[in-house]
Amino acid sequence: MRQENIRRLISVISLLVLSLLFGLTSSDFFTAYNLLNILREASITGIIAVGVTFVIITAGIDLSTGALVGFASMVCASLVYYYHPPAAVVMLVALLVGLIGGALNGFIVAKLRVPEFIGTLSTQYLFRSMVFVFAIRESGVITNKIIDDPNILIMGGSIGGVYLVTFAFLIVAVAGQIILKKTKLGVYIYATGANSKSAQLSGINTAKIRMIVFTITGFLCGIGAIFEIGRIGSVTTDLGTGLEFQIIAATVIGGCAFSGGRGDVFGTVIGALFMSVLQNGILKYNFPTATQLIIQGVVIVIVVVFDSVYNRIAQKRLQEQARNEAAELLAGGEA
Amino acid sequence: MAEYLLKMEAIEKSFSGTPVLKKVDFEVRPGEVHALMGENGAGKSTLIKILTGFFPKDGGKIYMDGQQVEINSRNDATKYGISAIYQELSLIPTLSVMQNIMLGKERTQTCLLRSKEMKKEAQQLIDRYGFGLKPDAIVETLPIAQRQTVEILKALNGKSRLIIMDEPTASLSNKESESLFQIIRQLKEQGVSIIYISHRLEEVYRLADRLTILRDGARVAVLDRKEIVPKDVAVMMIGKALNEATASENLRPPKPEVVLKTDRLTRKGVFQDISFELHKGEILGFSGLVGSGRTEVMRAVYGADNYDSGTVLLNGKPLPKNNIGKSISLGFGLVPEDRISQGFTPLLSIERNVALTNYDTLSAFGFVRVPQEKRLGAKMVKSLNIKPGNPLVHVGDLSGGNQQKAVLAKWLSRGLNVLIIDEPTAGIDIGAKDEIYKILENLAENGTSIILISSDLKEVLRVSHRILVMRKGKIFTEFSEGSITQEDLLMAESGITKKGA
Repeated sequence: MRQENIRRLISVISLLVLSLLFGLTSSDFFTAYNLLNILREASITGIIAVGVTFVIITAGIDLSTGALVGFASMVCASLVYYYHPPAAVVMLVALLVGLIGGALNGFIVAKLRVPEFIGTLSTQYLFRSMVFVFAIRESGVITNKIIDDPNILIMGGSIGGVYLVTFAFLIVAVAGQIILKKTKLGVYIYATGANSKSAQLSGINTAKIRMIVFTITGFLCGIGAIFEIGRIGSVTTDLGTGLEFQIIAATVIGGCAFSGGRGDVFGTVIGALFMSVLQNGILKYNFPTATQLIIQGVVIVIVVVFDSVYNRIAQKRLQEQARNEAAELLAGGEA
Repeated sequence: MAEYLLKMEAIEKSFSGTPVLKKVDFEVRPGEVHALMGENGAGKSTLIKILTGFFPKDGGKIYMDGQQVEINSRNDATKYGISAIYQELSLIPTLSVMQNIMLGKERTQTCLLRSKEMKKEAQQLIDRYGFGLKPDAIVETLPIAQRQTVEILKALNGKSRLIIMDEPTASLSNKESESLFQIIRQLKEQGVSIIYISHRLEEVYRLADRLTILRDGARVAVLDRKEIVPKDVAVMMIGKALNEATASENLRPPKPEVVLKTDRLTRKGVFQDISFELHKGEILGFSGLVGSGRTEVMRAVYGADNYDSGTVLLNGKPLPKNNIGKSISLGFGLVPEDRISQGFTPLLSIERNVALTNYDTLSAFGFVRVPQEKRLGAKMVKSLNIKPGNPLVHVGDLSGGNQQKAVLAKWLSRGLNVLIIDEPTAGIDIGAKDEIYKILENLAENGTSIILISSDLKEVLRVSHRILVMRKGKIFTEFSEGSITQEDLLMAESGITKKGA
């Protein structure tokens, strides 16, 4: 079996084991209501994580996603509060803000050649500060206002118990996997991350590819913003804080390597579900918040350490194999 | 069709005023395997880099099919059907064979890849040349030899008519090399021309239709297949004048006592049954082609790598395996081949770099003893004549030769028993080379035993008491002082003994 398939099997099994663990210790874990909630929780992280998966496969990183969701959401909230435009316009604006934010990331990283970490850390601050610029104020004080447009709130709703955001996640994930595996863009994304020099020599414009993946991620942040508004019905200045780390954790748990060229959307979906099951399950124990966070952190560390140990062992085995082959030939082949 | 597929005429190139190519002519016929030989620094790789668009030429003309062409970039080279296969393979490791072959030339239909069609195309290409490859195999899971064939296929899919292979067998086993030769013959039958760069006389002897020999940036001979005689080729590569360079007379004979002794040292697949003795104050040359295992043996002796069986004795006592700290405390020093990435810390000053190996004596309770550190730095700068003579200059800002001296200073300041030094003068100008040789000779006189690994035959001959030649992971032969010429050494590296030639 190929190393990647083994790795995939391990992540699916650990998701099942974790679910089973929570299911056996808590009576209301395996209820339809709870499972649908888990899916809902996983969906916003997951939608954006599809884009971040692309970015990480090109050997990049995007730290600005959470702040961009906050920014796009806040722009919409202000728009609704001050101008009451039709819901479609609001959503379009959310997508546009996301798209522009992502394109800005891409421009800074691919065209200005700022290292991803620094570039997207700066835009994280930029987007977060824009949240405050666009925040709704009453006599100079930032105020949290309820969004009462039912056509917007419908995005937080469900069909037959399944939340709309989950459908969106499904569509985005399937589209993402098709792009990665079945289109030229997908092949070029892998090529850019695994060996960018060679990709360039094969005539691939790697700067353009990196520009595209950041723009896609920004666009998905816009989609995420629409569902966040729909779910919460209001926008606070800290909306989306820390979301970028949940997203990155999901992609890494799903098998993306920071060195690039590895991973796919299927893995990321597993990763997003893993994160969501973990959060949901811990809640059931009524631990204090600090304990919950500690357990979450520890589990993520364990998974990531396991991943790196596992990769080292797999790498070693490949080398061992090559060495043995060489030894055979050395022993038998001397003319 | 013109007589020559490729014709390079009076190519000139200098680096910072030093001519590297002096009006070199070079021609390749359609469908021939043309070997290009020469010692390190003869200008082979510069010529090839001009041909593939990495360097601009200073003068001369290039013709393809009789038409004059300008090659200013890798893309230009590809346009004219020229491609190069390098040792550092340029494939995408996580993609499949098919995806690599088709990279940049994908077939699509309304955005989606036509995978079936592409797979069929790749399979046809594989079949046409009879390579046993599966289009779905992921490249990183293939052995090096097969990756090389993927690379060749990629070049062929780009409609290459001239493929340059630079030391293609360096990392291949015998069996793998054989299948590469088979592939080369098939390519030839299909009318593809090949420029084959190799140090291995026996391969060139078997494969080449013609042979061009470069020496010191000039073409010294073009031989037809029947004119290729290994012994003559060796002489032509080295040149008459240099033939006299045998072991240095300044060397004082070593003392009889054995400092280091290895017994049947073996690491599976890397080296086998390596036994040698090193005497006090001796300089032992370790020669052999790149990939012969010389560096790996020394890393194992030093404790940087593990080995499977055998023993290493230092002054009669066994040295623990894979324990660099122990080796250093017992008076071992290693100056690595890759000076820039492993030898020094570029952003630290000379004195700090020298001190790095000496903090056991240069610190007290975790604090650096600054006056002693400064004194040692100044002493080493002076005694090794490092320029500029300021111990506070960053090592990264020094010239190659002075960097190497700084690396030596790191170890010399400790009073070593055994110094292992790998390619000490690669990329260093002649003046600095001489200084480094003198440093080594002085060291040996003062009782340090030195193992010198080098590809530069003149260097090995000049500074070694004895020379061991490694070949394919084993010690092939041993020469002692006075009984050897460059020619012998060159042929031994290729596996030809004196009598056999």
